[in-house]
Amino acid sequence: MKKAGYGRLRSDTGQHGRILITGLLLGILAFVPIGVRLWNLMIRDYGYYSRLALANQSRTTPVDGRRGEIYDSNMNVLATSVTVQTVYLDPHELKQSGADIEHISQTLGQLLNLDPAWIQTQAQDLTRRYKRIAAQVEAPVADAIRSYINETETVGIHLEPGSKRVYPYGTLASQVLGFTNVSGVGSEGVEAAYNSFLQGSGASVITTKGSNEMDMPFSYEAYLQDREGCSVVLTLDVTVQACLEKQLQAAIDRYNVQNGAFGLVMNAKTGQILAMATLGGYDPNAYLEVYDPQARESLTQLENHFLSLPEGTAEYSKGKQTYLEELNAARLKQWRNRVISDGYEPGSTFKVLTMAAALDCGAIDLNTSFHCSGAERIPGRSQLLHCWRSTGHGSEQTPQALQNSCNIAFAHIALKLGGERFYEYVEKFGILEKTGIDLSGESKGVFFSKPLVTQTEKWGTASLTSGSFGQTFKLTPLQLVRAIASVVNGGWLMEPYLVEEVLDAQGNTVLRQEPTAIRQVISRETSQTMCGLLRSVVTEGTAKNAAVAGFDIGGKTGTSEKIDVLDANGNPTLDKIVSFVGVAPMDDPEYIVLVALDTPSRTTGMYISGGVMAAPTVGAVMADILPYLGVRRSYSPEEAAGQQVVLPEFTGMTLKEAKKAVADTKITFVCQGQEELVTAQLPEPGSTVSGDSQVLLYFGETPGAETVAVPDFMGMNRAQAAQAAGELGLNILVTGNQDVTPTVTVTSQSVPKDSQVPPGTAITLQFTDTKVLE
Amino acid sequence: MALRKILHAKEDRRDLAAQGVDRPFLLILMALLTVGLCMLYSASCAQSLYDTRYTDSTRYLQKQGLCALLGLGAMYLASRIPAGTWWRLAWPVYGISIGLLLLVLVAGQSVNGAKRWISLGGLQFQPSEIAKFALILLFARLTRGFGSRAKKFRYGVLGFSAALLGILLPLALEKHLSAIMLMGLVAVVMMFVAGTHPKWLGFGALAAGIFVVVYVTFMGYAGDRITAWLAPEKDPADTGYQILQSLYAIGSGGPLGLGLGKSRQKFLYLPFQYNDYIFAVICEELGFIGALGIVGLFIALILRGYWIALKAPDRFSTVLCAGLITLIAVQTALNLCVVTNLLPSTGIALPFFSYGGTALAVNLGEMGIVLSISRYRNRASVQEETV
Repeated sequence: MKKAGYGRLRSDTGQHGRILITGLLLGILAFVPIGVRLWNLMIRDYGYYSRLALANQSRTTPVDGRRGEIYDSNMNVLATSVTVQTVYLDPHELKQSGADIEHISQTLGQLLNLDPAWIQTQAQDLTRRYKRIAAQVEAPVADAIRSYINETETVGIHLEPGSKRVYPYGTLASQVLGFTNVSGVGSEGVEAAYNSFLQGSGASVITTKGSNEMDMPFSYEAYLQDREGCSVVLTLDVTVQACLEKQLQAAIDRYNVQNGAFGLVMNAKTGQILAMATLGGYDPNAYLEVYDPQARESLTQLENHFLSLPEGTAEYSKGKQTYLEELNAARLKQWRNRVISDGYEPGSTFKVLTMAAALDCGAIDLNTSFHCSGAERIPGRSQLLHCWRSTGHGSEQTPQALQNSCNIAFAHIALKLGGERFYEYVEKFGILEKTGIDLSGESKGVFFSKPLVTQTEKWGTASLTSGSFGQTFKLTPLQLVRAIASVVNGGWLMEPYLVEEVLDAQGNTVLRQEPTAIRQVISRETSQTMCGLLRSVVTEGTAKNAAVAGFDIGGKTGTSEKIDVLDANGNPTLDKIVSFVGVAPMDDPEYIVLVALDTPSRTTGMYISGGVMAAPTVGAVMADILPYLGVRRSYSPEEAAGQQVVLPEFTGMTLKEAKKAVADTKITFVCQGQEELVTAQLPEPGSTVSGDSQVLLYFGETPGAETVAVPDFMGMNRAQAAQAAGELGLNILVTGNQDVTPTVTVTSQSVPKDSQVPPGTAITLQFTDTKVLE
Repeated sequence: MALRKILHAKEDRRDLAAQGVDRPFLLILMALLTVGLCMLYSASCAQSLYDTRYTDSTRYLQKQGLCALLGLGAMYLASRIPAGTWWRLAWPVYGISIGLLLLVLVAGQSVNGAKRWISLGGLQFQPSEIAKFALILLFARLTRGFGSRAKKFRYGVLGFSAALLGILLPLALEKHLSAIMLMGLVAVVMMFVAGTHPKWLGFGALAAGIFVVVYVTFMGYAGDRITAWLAPEKDPADTGYQILQSLYAIGSGGPLGLGLGKSRQKFLYLPFQYNDYIFAVICEELGFIGALGIVGLFIALILRGYWIALKAPDRFSTVLCAGLITLIAVQTALNLCVVTNLLPSTGIALPFFSYGGTALAVNLGEMGIVLSISRYRNRASVQEETV
């Protein structure tokens, strides 16, 4: 290579210039737009992009684990949240770590009760790094999975904590409590109505997460925002609720009730709801399942039907559609709180309001006379009005009109009252408006339009007279109970409420509900008069079956036909709702109890009426709850003989001391054994027995293994039952109708027949007059 | 002995002894390399943890650091090799690099679907990086050879174009679009410096423009890129994803940034966050001030580089130095334009910052040549004095 080829030739000056231009272009000018662009992105649009970036990186996770609790009035937990685990796989990690996917699938399938083949396909889907295979896995299973992961040192199975709503009392008060949906938002009932409190406003954790959904390995400050939900304390009392539901269920079984039952216990003075039940409910722990056996069966049939059809055909999709619609309807039905959502025809229970109105405005007084011949042509009414007793009640005065629940007398009361005043009182009793209870889904029934009852010269008196005895219109059970509460509590219409208090996470009161009086409807004097009249319905009228020894109970029966329910031929089915509204204690009414049974079977041999079926049910509820609620017993002289006592513990006493302990009763002792002190007793301490029972005391001996079989008391009258019990050495406890007449017979016994019990055991017998109509 | 003769031509030895390398250029370069490695670690740690199942955040840093050491060695060597040596090596290097490019087509390794890698004794490298250097070297030699004849079409256009095509054809077979574009741009700048008449360059630009339009029209895939460029928010989950994630990162940096190491977008939101899009992470972490500082360092390096070219003792050194600096400048400017969505995505890395061992080592070696040329920066005045 020639040396001259690479000489020390100076660059020409033109080249210098071109390099300067190049340097200017590439070294300075090229970077000017970049600088401007950076300014625009990072300074001018900083807010915009940082917002987008944050949205991009952060995940808002509602922390339903911190949803507040629901307590009853005694702070029993009705709804709470527990930690559960979501199990997910990371197929990428499983592959990288060379995990034995088949073994994992088998194990997880067994633990989680899933198809191992399905798990395997999930584990092999490498397109995702987060494959959820099970949610809401509870502690024992989660622990088993965890120890499996540890034993096999598997990488790629993950557990993620979440929360699950748990209702410890199961079906108890299910429609009142409601449930939370899959997203943890309250649906139905208190969960829905108080969702914003329970959830806490914006109770969520915002975390910055990597694109692969893993937490960033380094901790990041800020963006954490969470607030715990408040807890809600209800006025509901689980004991009262359980008593109500138990008696409703017993009534359903006893009277073969076809279409469920509902009931309500309210504090008449304050409007606090102590219990609210709709039987035919569900378990909020598994709210999607259908619980009604009949609905379940028909759903299974529908499902099998469409599954048997070839997939993809029109019949298939039609069948599936029908199935899904039925499923949805069945769910909505079991979630429905009939006490606040459904109107029903109140029947004779409404007569309480008509009479209170008529007495309050002076249209009648206690001495007003009526005559019932069994049927009568009422002016302005085209149809002949029949009383339920076709032979008629004869001559009667105001108290007897209510006691007999006489429709003809009430038609006359309505005419005396007049449409204007009737409508005015109905309005004041709150029948035209919602009660304002703090639950969602309340309706207000359907009442006549005003002209229909007030302009009698134009529309006749049919609506006015039928309305006066609670027919041809609808109201909700809660509306009725609230109105009757105002009749007995001195005249005040209260706003019913279910939530006593809202507490924040630290237990401070956020909100407290105080009793709210809306207006005074009737005077205190009228209210007192009405209390006396309601008491007389139980002592002398159609509701004798509701009596509970020792308690001063009043109330009114009701039987209404479901006129709008038609059978396949378009004729009325004559299905009935029987009901009873009971109040206690009548000298100072505090508690009001409604029980309604929808469509009792016509095959039980009993008359279908509120007096036969609903009244003893309310009586049983009262007998359970009044002692619990601290209402003092006071016995009438007749009741004193059969006074019920709770047996004390005699063990450790001498005979003398034992006698002293029950000195104010007629209890007698039968002694066995030689020792000084009592070592055992029959019945057990704490048993409720009749005041004239015999109690076995053992002095040193132990109760023999000897037992007797409980006889079948059903259908026996008082004398027969007493004899049957006496022969076997059993004690009986009478509740319900106290009349000693042949039609008053045993309708339920606390211990099933043929059970083996020790002699001396007390058996509660419910006596009911099964031939009462109204 | 031949090698020794090539490396140390007699007439150069005393010149090299005469002066040290340009200190400011070296300092700027070291600053860029240091900051570059720091940011590479920060940008790659999330990806590294992810790749290693959360056990090691330094995997990328380790490889890059090793290549940086190799590159520094190459730089030191190159800074001691006189320009005359490169003049002699121009044609052989050109030949070898074409050979390597062809070898890739036959025995290359695929990474992400593109066949661009060669494995030599366990060491992987990209021949296209060497081809860039070979092209610049040959252009410098041709410029020296053509002299003032470079103004003529036959030399200034046909000569250079022939040399360019020799490299571009195998690259086109590799479908290495970004390298073609980069080399085309560098070649145009070098032809301008060499003295090719600007009107020919104008025609060239027109031809390139037509090519781009045709390419975009017929290649749906590239067409998507244009749509993603103009309106990334239209398809945020797919074609627009990359650029949107980049803009989120840059924009959320704000004036002062989230703090060193605190990028959030690097947690697998921003693809290639340790590679082509490392500047977005820099913006997010260091903010506007920090980003401007780094851009400033690049500008300083480029301007000082052209200054060294101006001070070079002869036409070959001048054009070689200008070419090498142009390569850095074009890569930097294109990368920043792509990251900030001023230009559609191309796949050009940021020198000294982006992950890529071959590129880093070769870039450092090339800077060694610039340093070597910088030893003559006072030569002109010295010569004038002695004359």
